[in-house]
Amino acid sequence: MTLGEPRRWVGHALPRKEENRLLRGRGKFADDIKLRDMLYLRFIRSPYAHANILSIDVSAAEAVPGVICTLTGAEIVPLTQPFIEIGPDPFAKIKDYPLAVSKARYQGEPVVAVVATSPAIADDAAEVVQIEYEALDPLGDGEQALQDKSLLHEEAGTNRVWNGVFEYGDVDRAFKDAAYIVNIDRLHFHRFSSTPLENNVVIAEWNPKDERIYYSCNNSFPSFAIQFLAAHLNVHIDRIRVETSDIGGSFGIKITSYPQMAVCALASKKAGRPIKWVETRSEHMTSSAHGNERTFRDTRVALAKDGVITAITSRHIDDCGAYPRYEPLGCVIWSQVFPGVYRFKNARIDFMQAVTNKCPVGPNRGYSRMQHLWFLERVVDICAHELGIAPDEMRLRNYVRPEEFPYTTPNGCVYDSGNYPKMLQVAKDLIGWDEWKKKQAAARKEGRLLGIGIGTTLDSGTNNFGQSQIVNPGLPYSGNSQGANCKLDIYGEVVVAVGSCPQGQGHETTAAQVVADVLNIHPDLVTVRTGFDTERNVHTGFSGTYASQFAVSGLSAVHGAAQKLKAEMKRLAAFTLQTKEDDLEFSMGAQGPEVRARGNGKSINYWGLANLVNANTAALPPELYEVTLNCRYIWRAPFKVPDKQKKYGNLTLTYASQLHICVVEVDRETFIPRILDYGAVDDCGTVINPPIVEGQVYGATAHGIGAALMENCVYDAVGNMLTSTFSDYTPITAVNMPAVKYGHIETPSPHSYSGAKGMGEGGAAPIHTISAALQDALFASGIVIADSFNNADSLFRAMVAKEIGQAQKLVRVERRV
Amino acid sequence: MYPRAFHYHRAGSLKEAVAMLSQLGGEAKLLAGGQSLIPLMKLRFANPGHLIDLNFISGTSFIKEEDGRLRFGAMTRHAEIEDSSAAKKIPILHDCAAGIADVQVRNRGTIGGSLAEADPSGDWATVLMTLHTELHCLGNQGERTVPIEEFIKDAYTTALAHDELVREITVRKPSPNSGGAYLAFKRCAPVYPTASAAVQLTMEGETCREARIVLGCVGLTPIRAKQAESALRGAAVNEKSVSAAVEAARTASDPQPDMRGSAEYKHTLVGALVKRAIDVARRRALGEKVELSHIYA
Amino acid sequence: MPDAVETIPIRLKVNGKSHSLTVEPRLLLVELLREHLDLTGTHVGCDTTYCGACTVLINGAAVKSCTVFAVQADGAEILTVEGLETDGQLHPIQRAFAECYGLQCGYCTPGLMLATHQLLARNKRPDEKAIRKAIAGNTCRCTGYQNIIKAIQAAARNMDGVQQRSSV
Repeated sequence: MTLGEPRRWVGHALPRKEENRLLRGRGKFADDIKLRDMLYLRFIRSPYAHANILSIDVSAAEAVPGVICTLTGAEIVPLTQPFIEIGPDPFAKIKDYPLAVSKARYQGEPVVAVVATSPAIADDAAEVVQIEYEALDPLGDGEQALQDKSLLHEEAGTNRVWNGVFEYGDVDRAFKDAAYIVNIDRLHFHRFSSTPLENNVVIAEWNPKDERIYYSCNNSFPSFAIQFLAAHLNVHIDRIRVETSDIGGSFGIKITSYPQMAVCALASKKAGRPIKWVETRSEHMTSSAHGNERTFRDTRVALAKDGVITAITSRHIDDCGAYPRYEPLGCVIWSQVFPGVYRFKNARIDFMQAVTNKCPVGPNRGYSRMQHLWFLERVVDICAHELGIAPDEMRLRNYVRPEEFPYTTPNGCVYDSGNYPKMLQVAKDLIGWDEWKKKQAAARKEGRLLGIGIGTTLDSGTNNFGQSQIVNPGLPYSGNSQGANCKLDIYGEVVVAVGSCPQGQGHETTAAQVVADVLNIHPDLVTVRTGFDTERNVHTGFSGTYASQFAVSGLSAVHGAAQKLKAEMKRLAAFTLQTKEDDLEFSMGAQGPEVRARGNGKSINYWGLANLVNANTAALPPELYEVTLNCRYIWRAPFKVPDKQKKYGNLTLTYASQLHICVVEVDRETFIPRILDYGAVDDCGTVINPPIVEGQVYGATAHGIGAALMENCVYDAVGNMLTSTFSDYTPITAVNMPAVKYGHIETPSPHSYSGAKGMGEGGAAPIHTISAALQDALFASGIVIADSFNNADSLFRAMVAKEIGQAQKLVRVERRV
Repeated sequence: MYPRAFHYHRAGSLKEAVAMLSQLGGEAKLLAGGQSLIPLMKLRFANPGHLIDLNFISGTSFIKEEDGRLRFGAMTRHAEIEDSSAAKKIPILHDCAAGIADVQVRNRGTIGGSLAEADPSGDWATVLMTLHTELHCLGNQGERTVPIEEFIKDAYTTALAHDELVREITVRKPSPNSGGAYLAFKRCAPVYPTASAAVQLTMEGETCREARIVLGCVGLTPIRAKQAESALRGAAVNEKSVSAAVEAARTASDPQPDMRGSAEYKHTLVGALVKRAIDVARRRALGEKVELSHIYA
Repeated sequence: MPDAVETIPIRLKVNGKSHSLTVEPRLLLVELLREHLDLTGTHVGCDTTYCGACTVLINGAAVKSCTVFAVQADGAEILTVEGLETDGQLHPIQRAFAECYGLQCGYCTPGLMLATHQLLARNKRPDEKAIRKAIAGNTCRCTGYQNIIKAIQAAARNMDGVQQRSSV
């Protein structure tokens, strides 16, 4: 399906256009922006995980010189509607306001806002707000919450946000015929957050003259945010303008800043002046968004004699924190990768989601799929070890085969392309597999704990939003779209705008590469608008930057707009140059880029074309009046609405894949797991800009290694978050990160115009890989790696529990042959 | 993150700083490197009404070799010690200075400030307790000399009176057949160690004549593991004596569970660190040049 | 809390330019740079002296400007990211970061380049271990550090080459 233009720029390592400003310290991040008369907002947050709010006294705060006003939950209730709930009843009944109204449901929940002339004064005033709480018992665990012994949201009458059974094939039959059944009692995927280095920032101005709300912020999915905000604030959606500029990372986390955006707008309305809120790191850690925590219960795996998995059943409990917000979308998003990279056809997953007294979750690099992919990798890996099949061989026996693509999964997803066995070989070659195997054998003889692990994972990109109807049949969303605009400006400059809001992915560069190829010009001649702006009129309902899709949805939109522009330029040029359109060529002339007639040798440059449409219009015949050289194009993904009852349909357009291999050694004395070698192989189809792709792989790998070994959102028994600073949470640093050996293969996607697949999330490959390597190192010691987070302390405790005979037996194998 | 407002006083001399301390009373605090104090003030966990800035006093940052001793001005930055050829002659000092936090913090943080803060996780007190170290403290009543063992009283508590400050730290140079090592396990550079071990051994051939073993981050103060020292003193440093020392060190530790690790784990970890530090200290005592850096997660 | 807001006069040189200002004692150096001097290339990423996004040089030494009061910089010479270039020409460190794709979102980059600046001033050819140690106080969430390390190696080569050529 690839289209015809030659690729002079796409596929090449073009330097990034973004660098010039970012390297000079001239990037424009949200906190760099000041508006006249701007005020500063500080939240006062609940110190309790679960508490009734008995009284609030803001008088002392309002008396602090420099304080303009305060805002409480009770004040905003009559001014607003509760936020839209994505899920169905009974959770649709809950009342989610951006400030706690009568009760606080997690430590760090905003309760009061103070607004002052400086941030320091706002902090001073925040200290003297008096709030009386009555502490309630907190629910810290999803399984415990599902017992409904106490409730977070009384309106719902339950803590269960969502429940659905995903069943395909003939599960009972597969278990009846199984040679082996492996039972795994409990696996647990921990809470962590990708913690972008730039915190959330909101500048809001509610203009009393025209009742318009202006936002300058770093939200990473503005078209989603405005849909929530317009309904919440009772304003027309066109009255809300959102602008983003440079964004210091999001990884999905900044999708969920709309509650703070709401408070800032309301505070601006009350104060009559613009408001700025700059989140502190502690606020970010306690109350921005965490990744979903998930527990996998009572897993049963049916296998044939040769280790081929024939069926899996399991019960999954997802903990979404105190408010669903973006959830329960995560209850279906994981099913984009229902069988992972494996061929089994029969499965039954009973999926539940619960609220707990913890920070709400939100999309976080690898959102909802990584939990499931980790689960599947654990299942495959544990089965391999239990049955004595080499983990690489086990995978080869179960992988979807290269000749089976496009491959339809049991739940109707279509894997576009891939070659997992080849990736495995490339990864083995990268690290020198055979050599490591020898070293491992030697190390084991010395009693050393050395393991080699494989993680194979998927990075599904470009969602079919129709999957939201699987969680709530009443939702009006399906398909996917992205908008772009490509124009010749009055003086003939090529200008592109697209509805994404990049955070380091190089969209300005790759968009310019695509347009440059369409028009046969140098990418330096293409101006790509930075950031997002609703008033550019290019966004659609799904515009933003999330879910590994820009290379597909964003660049397809850009490509479509550029082609539309090219077609208009041809029409105009054919008229001016008195020739036929197929006689025209796009080239560089003495006066810049031009369109030239091959036959008569005449040419017109871009300025000449733009001038005809914009300034020299009397020369234009009426039949060309519809030519604007200002071309908006909406790209739509070719999706159908999934079958809601059967939970069946194609949920994602492209499936990039990652295969990592890691060699790890657990020190026998310190129990510190040390990575000795690390290889990462990536397949994202046709690559647009190789170093950008490589950079995404390294970044996702660092996030995964950090999550696997260092980064864990920990709560104590009463719901205090113990990792509320970077110094406690310890995001991975240069001394922790191993050198990564990078390799890639290309299996072009038949589903995108360029053959590219969306990428960037990486499917949390390192978490799967490190778990597998630790499993390999410790299986002989009787340890089952049942948690996605493993550090020296947890490995020590597992080893001790084993030694003193207190380890729970998590895995049981039924052998029928 | 904005600290509460405070009054700022720039001391022109240490004497003036002492006078300011007595005059301003309990609400006053000294500002040395500020690398612990300022973050605490930003989080509003520390809220001094007055800060007395020591950074503009000349002659408070120095490293001098004199009479078999090293003298450190209290305002000497960790980085200056890390880079000092004089300090490198006592390898355990270099291990310590080079392993504190990160480059930026080492450029600001001071040895005197670190000791006076007496954070149970601080590095200097643990290391200096393996050496003959004295703190020269200046107060209203004049100067007094306090051995490091008497200086650290408890977590965040020192022998300093409110209107007293550390002027200088002196360390007696160990004999040429003595060697030391300081080793910590840290999750990453900017944070405090999970546990650490400082070992200084004096060797005669393969026999240990004198031993100092101090454990860091596993108690309210650095813990001198005297039983562990006895296990080595007068003995050949071999598997048997070392494992006795390690066992004794583990027994001596009294860690608290926190985000860095469980108490049980720290017990085990500190033993492993002692074992490795003994090995490096022994080799250094015997004249071998050994590079040592902390273990990171 | 003091009754009236106390301010202190200070003078300092930033990127070669002298400034005289009066500041509240509690003003942090990073705020002075960002809010008073509009040098917004220096960033804030955490509250606890962990991430190093705010790294600047004070008299040639890398420091976290969120952990220094502005009054402490009285009389100092400060270099921020805005001062790295000369007459619009990128510094070899900046060039190397661009060439090696050593940045993605660019938020940590100014701090990392200044940490690099101190490193290369003291160690002309640092090995990988020395580089990792030198940037251990700078958090990057995008790059996995891999291309940053490459960039620092390239910067070392560029700068060393320039010095060797100019000394011939």
